This record gives sequence, C-alpha cells and structure tokens, in this order.
Amino acid sequence: MKKNGRFMVGLVGVATVVTYLIWTGVSETMVYYLTPVELLERVEVDPTFHQVGVKVSGQVIPGTYRRQDGELLHIFEVRDLVDESITFPVEFRDALPDTFTDQVEVVLEGRLREDGVFEANTLLTKCASRYEASQEELAG
Amino acid sequence: MTLLGEFALWISLPFAIWGMVVGFVGGRTQRGDLVLSAERSVYAVFFLHAIAAAGVMAAFLGDRFEYWYVASYSNAELEFFYKVTGLWAGQRGSLLFWALILGFFSSLCVFQNRKKHREFMPYVAAVLQTILLFFIIVLLFAEVNPFERLGFTAVNGRGLNPQLQNYWMVIHPPTLYLGFTAFTIPFAFAIAALLNGRLDARWIQLTRRWILTSWLFLSVGIVFGMRWAYEELGWGGYWFWDPVENASLLPWLTATAFLHSIQIQETRGMLKIWNMSLVLLTFLLTIFATFLTRSGIIESVHSFAEEPKIMITFLSFMAAVFAGCAVLILYRLPQLRTENQIESFVSRESAFLFNNVLLLGAAFSVFFGTMFPLISELITGQEISVGPPFFQRVNFPIGLALLALAGIGPVIAWRRATKKNLQKNFSTPVMVGLVVTAALWISGAHHPLALTTWGISAFVVTVIATEFWKGTKARSRIEGEGYIPALFHLVSRNRRRWGGYIVHVAIVMMFMAFAGAAYNVDERFHVQPGDVVEVDSPMGHTYTLTYEGLSTARQNGLRNLLWQAIATVSVQKDGRSVGVLTTEKRQYTTQDVGSPPMTEVGIRSTFGEDLYLILSAIDDAEAVVMRGDSNAQGIDLQVLVKPLVNWIWLGCLTLVGGTIIALWPSVDRKRAATEPSVEPDAEGARAGAAG
Repeated sequence: MKKNGRFMVGLVGVATVVTYLIWTGVSETMVYYLTPVELLERVEVDPTFHQVGVKVSGQVIPGTYRRQDGELLHIFEVRDLVDESITFPVEFRDALPDTFTDQVEVVLEGRLREDGVFEANTLLTKCASRYEASQEELAG
Repeated sequence: MTLLGEFALWISLPFAIWGMVVGFVGGRTQRGDLVLSAERSVYAVFFLHAIAAAGVMAAFLGDRFEYWYVASYSNAELEFFYKVTGLWAGQRGSLLFWALILGFFSSLCVFQNRKKHREFMPYVAAVLQTILLFFIIVLLFAEVNPFERLGFTAVNGRGLNPQLQNYWMVIHPPTLYLGFTAFTIPFAFAIAALLNGRLDARWIQLTRRWILTSWLFLSVGIVFGMRWAYEELGWGGYWFWDPVENASLLPWLTATAFLHSIQIQETRGMLKIWNMSLVLLTFLLTIFATFLTRSGIIESVHSFAEEPKIMITFLSFMAAVFAGCAVLILYRLPQLRTENQIESFVSRESAFLFNNVLLLGAAFSVFFGTMFPLISELITGQEISVGPPFFQRVNFPIGLALLALAGIGPVIAWRRATKKNLQKNFSTPVMVGLVVTAALWISGAHHPLALTTWGISAFVVTVIATEFWKGTKARSRIEGEGYIPALFHLVSRNRRRWGGYIVHVAIVMMFMAFAGAAYNVDERFHVQPGDVVEVDSPMGHTYTLTYEGLSTARQNGLRNLLWQAIATVSVQKDGRSVGVLTTEKRQYTTQDVGSPPMTEVGIRSTFGEDLYLILSAIDDAEAVVMRGDSNAQGIDLQVLVKPLVNWIWLGCLTLVGGTIIALWPSVDRKRAATEPSVEPDAEGARAGAAG
C-alpha cells in the first residue's frame, strides 16, 4: 500500500503539472471573442478597450474589398452577422488565405483602433469543406 | 440507380433495428437462430448501404442537379475523378460513406468470427447494428439526407471548392473515417464483454488487430491532412490547432493511450476499468470528431440554430452511449477488480501509466482549448477563445515527456527495475543524448525547446538501436546466422515488439521535424523580372533566387480555369543551379465574382530543408491577365525555408511500416510444428513486449 501511495503521488504530480499548464496557458493566451455589435458597445463603455486585442467574427461586405497598390495591405468592411447596420472597416497586412472572398464569414484577431478601423493581425475564414449553397443560389 | 439507392437507404432502417433487437435477445437467451439472423442482418445493411452509395455516385456521374447534394458539390465540368469522390466531399455524403465503411468492417468482423468466439458475437452484432442504426436515423431524419431533392433542377451545380480539388484532400477524409470506424469493433467487443461477463483480457486479444488497424488509419489520416495543409493552404504550415484538426487528434491520443495500457492488462491483469473507460472514451471521441468536423459548431455557435436536428441527434446519442456504458461498468465493477498491484515506481507498468496520464492530459487540454469558447460562453456569457499559443504551451512539455518515455518504456523492466537494469540500459543512451545536445549547441542551434527535443530524440533512437543490435547479435551467435538473416528472424519472431519499436522511431522522426519549425525562415520581397534575392537557410546554405517573370500560358488538363499566372523563379543553392520553381495564382470559373484567385505554391524538398515559394500577390493582375502587359510583372514573393519538414512524411512511412510489421499474422504457431523453437518462452516474450 505504501508503494501505491508513492505511485499515486507521482500521478497526481503529473496531473497537477498538466492542470497548471492549462491554467496558465488559458490566462496568458485567451482573447475575447466578440461580435461586431459587442465590440462597438465595449469600446463605447470603456475606451481603453481600443488597446485590447480581441477576436471578432463578421461577414465581409461584398464589393468592399480592395488592395492597397504596391503594398501588402488589404482593406475591406465587415458587418455583424445578425445586425446588418453595424459595420467597420478592416485593415489586414499579410497574405490573405485562398479561402478569403468578399462573400465569406471571417474571424479576425487584432484591435479596434481609435479611428474606428479594425487592425487585424490574423484572418481566418470558415472551413472550406463547409461551403454549401442555399436553395436560392442554386436556382440562380 | 439513384432512386434505388434512396430506397435501399430506407430499407436498411428496419434491418438495422431487427439486427439490434435479435442480437441482444439472442445473446441473452442463447438462441442460435436469432444470433444467426442478427449476424446476417449486418451483411444486409452493408449491402443496402453499398447500393445507396452507388446511387449517390450515379447521381454525381449523371450530373443530376435536381439533388441538393450533387448541385452543391459538383458541376458539369468537374473531372470524373472528383465526381466519383463526391460521395465524401460534403457532410451528407460523408455520413453515408461513414455508415458504408462501418458496415464493411462490421461484416468483415462477423464473417471472421462466424465459427469462433460465439460468446461475444451476438452482442457484438447487436452493438454494431445499434451504431449503424444511429447513422441511418441521422441520414434519414436529421435533414442531411444525401438524396434530398431541390424541387427543381439546377442548370448547373456550384462546383467543388478548388481547394478540395487536391489529391491529399481526396484521400484524407476516407483514411480518417477508416480509422474512426475501425475503432467501433473493439468498442463493440468491450460492450459484449461487459454483457457476457468475460472480463479478462480476452476481448482485448480478439480485437488487438482492429485496434492497431484503427490506430494506423488514424495516424496516416492525420498526416495526410497535414500534407494537404502544407501543399494547398499556402502559408507553409501543416498544423494550426484548428478545431477540425484537434477533433481528429483527440481519438488518436486516447487510442494511443489505450494501445499502451492494454499491454498492462494482458501481462499483469491490471487496469481493467481504466481500459474499459479508454475504449469508451475513444469511441465517443470518434463520434465527436465526425460531429465536430461536419457541423461547424465551434467556428460559430450560431450553427447550432441552423442545424438543430443533427446537433441534438448526435449529442443525445453520445449521452446515451455514455450513460449505457457507465451503467454497465458499474454493474460489472466487482469483476473488474485488478489482479495485481503496482510494485515499484520504477517499472514498465509505471512508465506505461505515466504515458497514459500524459496522453490523456494532452487530450484533455486539446479538448478543453477547442471547447473553451463554448465553455466560457456557457459560464460567463462571454465568448473567450484560446489560440495556437495555448495548445503549444501546454502540449510541448507533455510531448517532450512522452518522447522521453518512448525510449524509457521499451527497456525498463516489468514489476521492478533494479539499479543494474537502469544502468545497463540507460547510461549509454543518456550519454549519446547529452553529446548530441552539446554538439548541436556548439554548431549554433541554441533554441531551448528544439535542442531538448533533438537531445531526447537521440536518447530514444540509441535505446532502440541498442535493443535491435543486442537482439540481432545474440541470435546470430546462438543460431550461427549472418547479421541480416538474424535481424530478419528476430523481428519475425516477435513482430509486435519490434514493430512497436519501429513506430517509436517513426514518432521520433516526426518530433525532430516539428522541432525544426523553430528555425523557419520567412522573408518577403517585392520583385520585378530579373531581380535577384538571397535567402540564408539555418542549415548554412544560401539560396539565390532569380525572378524570371510571369506567364499566363494555360496548362493542359485543368478544368474550370478562368486564368492562371505562373511566376518562374530559378534557384541556385550555394552558387550551384538546382533548377526552377514555379508558384501560381489561379482564378477558377466556379469561384464567386470578385473573389481573389487561389495560390499554388512551389516547393523544393530535400532531407535537410524545404524551400517554399509563395506568390503572395501580383501588382496589377488585370494588366497581366487581360492585356498580357509584359511591363507589369511586379510581384510579392514570399520565401520560406522550412528545416526538416520532410521527416514528417518519412516518419509517417516508417510508422506505416512498423505498424504493418506489428499487425502481420504471427507465424510462430505454424513454424513450431515443423522446427524446434529457439525461444522456448515465446508466449512470455510476446507478453513482455513494449508497444
């Protein structure tokens, strides 16, 4: 029994280390995941939120995408998935993933600058294998 | 054919119900006729699903755009190959495909055991039919029927997303599905053992090959996905800790834990409850992975509202399976008592247990991180997510500890390792590990994590190489054979053990490659034709790249292509010309108007490092493509150097080799009749093997 006890100490030790890693991992790497509506509400209440890195999901507004000539700078607008009146411009300085079109839903990581432009460091699009057409699109 | 397929899918429903009911009743009442009927219903369901799948394929090949599924994933111009594989291109077809493979494995299992292990088979057939029934119900009633009609015939289909038109993407999902579904067989045997009360290691011995097969397909499937991401997604990485990737990793982690812990049960009769729990957990995770990859719940919580039926069906099935198994395990608890105790902290049992705790810790952290947005929203009402940094922080240390165990486990003694055992087996490997680390440090590799990984890798490889060497030498001396025949006979005498060692080496190769990422080079240039840029690689090479210009000539054999712009770059390595790389932008007709073109990367691969070129952007694509303007050829060129990436794919090949050796039917018994055995305790030796 004594040996089992020592053994349990080892296992519990490992479990504790794993838990500790998860705990610190979460607290040091977590970001708020907001909708555009929530983000705009947040910065209104608390202007320091402009400095905080956040993750935002939104729908790219068709026709707003353009690329700054001679620079690796992509500019487009996104809107809230539900409330279509809530929009903001986005600047993204990196190569776009191929799945990006000006019709997709994107998940952006970055911060909302004080001039109201969202400066994105990363951009993800919804998974490609989930592309499915609606009945109306197929009819057209 | 398509109508017949739809009909067949409906007919499979009563067959599955019948098989489930008579299987359980037949097992309980020991009535042979009912059991036989249950087993035959397994074949029937497989046959009906084969017709249903053929129906879907026929709809694809016949361009039947009145079907929603065909219209969404194909168009008239799509290549024949991708029309055939359309069966698993989307959610609906892949659910049917899943049921088809499960039906195939179930039939194979029932056929193999038609004359043996009769105490298990009624329940095995019943459990398999229950799971098949679940998938049939999902297909028919959860609004994901692949035979659903549009109500009109679309003029043309939407076409397959060009990124999915890639060889690896065609074989990646089916390989994973093979792994997921093959694990259902061990699960069914575990449940059968709980039901019939044979709770020794019998069910494990009977399904050992299925477990290994499943693990093999899971491993290969995950690597195929990495390869696809590396070639096609165009950012030079192979793993992003994306929810879909994580979902396929989870059952792999628990299956790996299971593969190790069953050896303790087989040799020492311990960990029975633990193994039951692991098999249940892994099975649930395979279902969870299908659910997650094909529902998109993590990317957007809102998808719950979009597809409530499939969500509720999956969640309630998983809850029911969990509850059912928990009740069975509790009911059998007295018989699941351990037969032995762990004797020492320093023993192989202990190494295996630590391996298990670490693997489960990794699985938990991946699960937790993947579900964190949902969890945080449920608790705080605020969605908070964690990204790749979280997964890396937690899993790098766990991975290194596991890597070290891959070297410790195989040679540490069962029950209790003596000081002598430890010194004999580990002093040289530890020395080698330290010397390699020091040598790498001196040669300029100072990244702590990478250096640790390579040091531990050297330790593990030395341990395993020594084992091979000692075994071969001993056999060569006793039998008077040359070294090569001795090695061959050594391995074939105990395939499971030596195959397992080879898999450990394969894992080491992959870890070495992962660590190479610490030295990735990423440089961006804006170049005009004739411009020369230089990039230094961490291996000490210098690449001199000359941008030759853009060409819009159309390649043959590509369909649905609107235009294509190919950038040609000549490559010199250390001043010597090593050929030409191309990287492209392609615009497909099936893409939406106004969307940017797709990128094709150029890769030059060597054992040391990959040179990876990305055509990030063309300054004035319109001038190049529409007007053929030869003056507007400026581009953004991204140059990556990725050390050791090739070792991932080589490691995967090695892993396949090792697993096949472990899977290969043993010839011991046949040989034993004709020649005297040199290893009198062959059974004991096999039992003592490490995985």
